Amino acid sequence: MKYGLFLGCNMPAIRPDVERAIRLTMPKLGVELIDLEGCACCSAFGTFPSADEIAGLAVNAWNLAIAEESGVDPIVECGSCYSSLRLGRDKLLQDEEKKKRVNELLKIAGKEFKGTAQTHHMIDVLYNEVGTEKISNAITRNLNGINAVVQYPCHTMFPSEIVGFDNPRRPQMLKELVEALGAKVQGFSREPQCCGGAGGFSHGAHIDAVKFTQKKFDAITEETSAELIVVSCITCLMHLDGTQRDLNKGSDDHKYSLPVFDYNQVLALCMGFDPKEVASISFIPRDKVIEKILANPRS
Amino acid sequence: MIDLAKANKNLWKEITEESGDIRNCFNCGTCVSGCPAAEADPPLLIRNLARMVLLGLEDELLEEGTPWICVTCSQCEEMCPMKVHPFEVCLAIRRWQSQKDETYIPPAVTEIFQRGHTQPLEKVQELRKSVGLEETPPTIVKFPELLKKFQAMLRETELVKNNDFMFRG
Repeated sequence: MKYGLFLGCNMPAIRPDVERAIRLTMPKLGVELIDLEGCACCSAFGTFPSADEIAGLAVNAWNLAIAEESGVDPIVECGSCYSSLRLGRDKLLQDEEKKKRVNELLKIAGKEFKGTAQTHHMIDVLYNEVGTEKISNAITRNLNGINAVVQYPCHTMFPSEIVGFDNPRRPQMLKELVEALGAKVQGFSREPQCCGGAGGFSHGAHIDAVKFTQKKFDAITEETSAELIVVSCITCLMHLDGTQRDLNKGSDDHKYSLPVFDYNQVLALCMGFDPKEVASISFIPRDKVIEKILANPRS
Repeated sequence: MIDLAKANKNLWKEITEESGDIRNCFNCGTCVSGCPAAEADPPLLIRNLARMVLLGLEDELLEEGTPWICVTCSQCEEMCPMKVHPFEVCLAIRRWQSQKDETYIPPAVTEIFQRGHTQPLEKVQELRKSVGLEETPPTIVKFPELLKKFQAMLRETELVKNNDFMFRG
């Protein structure tokens, strides 16, 4: 298994500990990662796709052409990057005119989009290519005795025809991946609700986005005994972490204090990698969960 | 009172001909029922926006800021029983607004033009080093000659040609 690691913008800049965790864990599971040299923003929906469709598709095609040149499919953690690259490729393959126009633009940069590379999400590769059994066998510590909840990345659900790999109505792959590390994953009423962090919602209607996400935290607190949230999308990670900090502002009780981890970060901790490298950046402290994992050798 | 005599009967073609047939929309509201941004104040109500497009209410639509609070989850895209592609309609409205009024153009496009990314990847070297990573990621930020080609490509798009004052590379 060989993939091109598509970094996007937020992960390498704001949460490089997630990038580090991915780079350390995937090869241990037999997934070779090569760099996609020269990739840019995916393009995110709120950028070129909101101003000029052809420009947005040209940026998608730029990135996909780099993967094609390298002879690999891109693998990506960020939900928005995943969806933008998938939807962009689909549009280009469905519409000869657009593909032609985009290739005229790419030619200026000495590139060509053929459509031979398809983007895969981290959960898809971990679940469907690596498999939970291999993951369970690759860890030296585990999450036995720890309760968790999961956040499914909306961009890997809809539109299922183009982005889907899990059941969009009842996703379960991330849950099973977390269970493969020994945790008990608890369901709750608002589990399918998106994190609220993507697109223009949290920028354009910040207070409403915070309230929207607060409902999710309240449901987790009332209905589960979760000690952590596991995500697999950089926006989910940053938003669920940052929103709790916002909600705690102006009060001393730190009511919202659920640690949030990307899946590969928890996996890296279970593989024995240094928390300073793979799980060092967050607003809500994660030390207690990290200590528990480190003190939990796999039986 | 809406004066339909002043409406642009071809607005739906202008905005959404590329993204599916919006004329199939019968206003069921499924797109709104699962929408996170429908909980905002003022709410994003894709159904209403689709009505505005179909009725040709240009002036009202140009004033609408709500398409820009879409969370991009695309749940509406999945649920729409008439395959109107509400998420694509939302993006198409944003593009139409950006073409009519340059103040709608998201500033992030100029950032991506200048550095290839929405984030300043050239300024995070210490943070990356602290977690054991290469200081400059192997993206476009590490290859200035590729960034030049990327910019040359974008310079030929309608967006950059029509708004070149925003894109000084």
